[in-house]
Amino acid sequence: MTEAIRKLFAVMPFLFGIGFIAPLTAQLMKLWGIPGPFGLSPIAFGLAFGGAWGLYANIKGRWL
Amino acid sequence: MDGPLKEDDALLREVLDAPGGDALAIPLLADDELDREARRSLRKEERDIAMKFHGGRMWVYAALTVGCFLVWVSLFPLAIMGLLGPVGLALGCVFATFCAAYGFIPSHEAMHSNIYPRGHKHYWANELTGHLSTVPIALGFGVARLTHMEHHKYTNHAELDPDYTDGAPNWWQAILKTWWNRQPGVEGSVMRYKRMMVDMDTPASRRAAMQTTLLQLVMLGTFFGMAWSGYAIEVALLWWLPRQLGLSWIRYWLSWAPHHPQEQGRYQNTRIFKARLGYWASMAMEYHLIHHLYPGIPNHRQREAFHALKDVLRRQGVDVSAH
Repeated sequence: MTEAIRKLFAVMPFLFGIGFIAPLTAQLMKLWGIPGPFGLSPIAFGLAFGGAWGLYANIKGRWL
Repeated sequence: MDGPLKEDDALLREVLDAPGGDALAIPLLADDELDREARRSLRKEERDIAMKFHGGRMWVYAALTVGCFLVWVSLFPLAIMGLLGPVGLALGCVFATFCAAYGFIPSHEAMHSNIYPRGHKHYWANELTGHLSTVPIALGFGVARLTHMEHHKYTNHAELDPDYTDGAPNWWQAILKTWWNRQPGVEGSVMRYKRMMVDMDTPASRRAAMQTTLLQLVMLGTFFGMAWSGYAIEVALLWWLPRQLGLSWIRYWLSWAPHHPQEQGRYQNTRIFKARLGYWASMAMEYHLIHHLYPGIPNHRQREAFHALKDVLRRQGVDVSAH
């Protein structure tokens, strides 16, 4: 149990990226009427953006 | 130093001339015994005054905590039902930020069992206040209390003070540090607290660490669940952003400002300062030295206690010129 939680938190920045940043990005794009690039839907772009940012945070150990 | 000095009191003059609170009131070479007596007498005078400021209407802390917590929680279903609107959501964000930041004041009182002491028939209210008030920042009350006791025991110690990582050379770097310490690869703030729980390795620390972990999982579950249900902006404004702002506010005012520049010693590890944003915005931390000297004096009485203690503190070598 403890080990499973530790592993879960080890990848939490990535999970935060796809679990929170992705839908937040999509919702903001819809709110402000911003279309996704390359014909991507807002949520597809959100997943790409949030996933990449979360992965960066996971690897680098910081969000910026 | 300020205030008049009695000309006929040579002992007092020596105390005032001492470079710091832990410095000897009279040089050892002169008379060690006399110095010890002077210090003991001053400490007794200080304690006698301080004891008058313990207690008060502490139930107000508990009532405000429960009230604010209920209002904050009710904002989530209201937002989901679309009853808040943009203005309501913005006001909700301000209120949630207030709860996240200022909720630390009642939780801090509860950490010291100042609301109701252990053994009191209403001690449960003390514990309830502590647990509820730290929910918005997703910090378990057990971790907050255990690490805070370590902070009092080892204030400004590089290895042993859980809050030492908040140190910074100036105010703007201190603000940046509050953000930096929350980065996933940086062991500061809550991450440092959790590591200290592991190091303590006691039943209480293990329980406290698990409680914080569960609280964080509930928070993240709420973030993810609401975001994927189409309420990402709502949860961002009611919890994620208020938590970020609240944590930075707490770390800056409770940790950096009163302890800068992180000296050690009973009268040196915390300072009396004048906050540019004022008494309320600084969460009454201008008088944080009073709390470190006498943790039983509640937050709302520290200013009053300081003014009563000012002369004694000055004689102890404390710089009281800010107020």
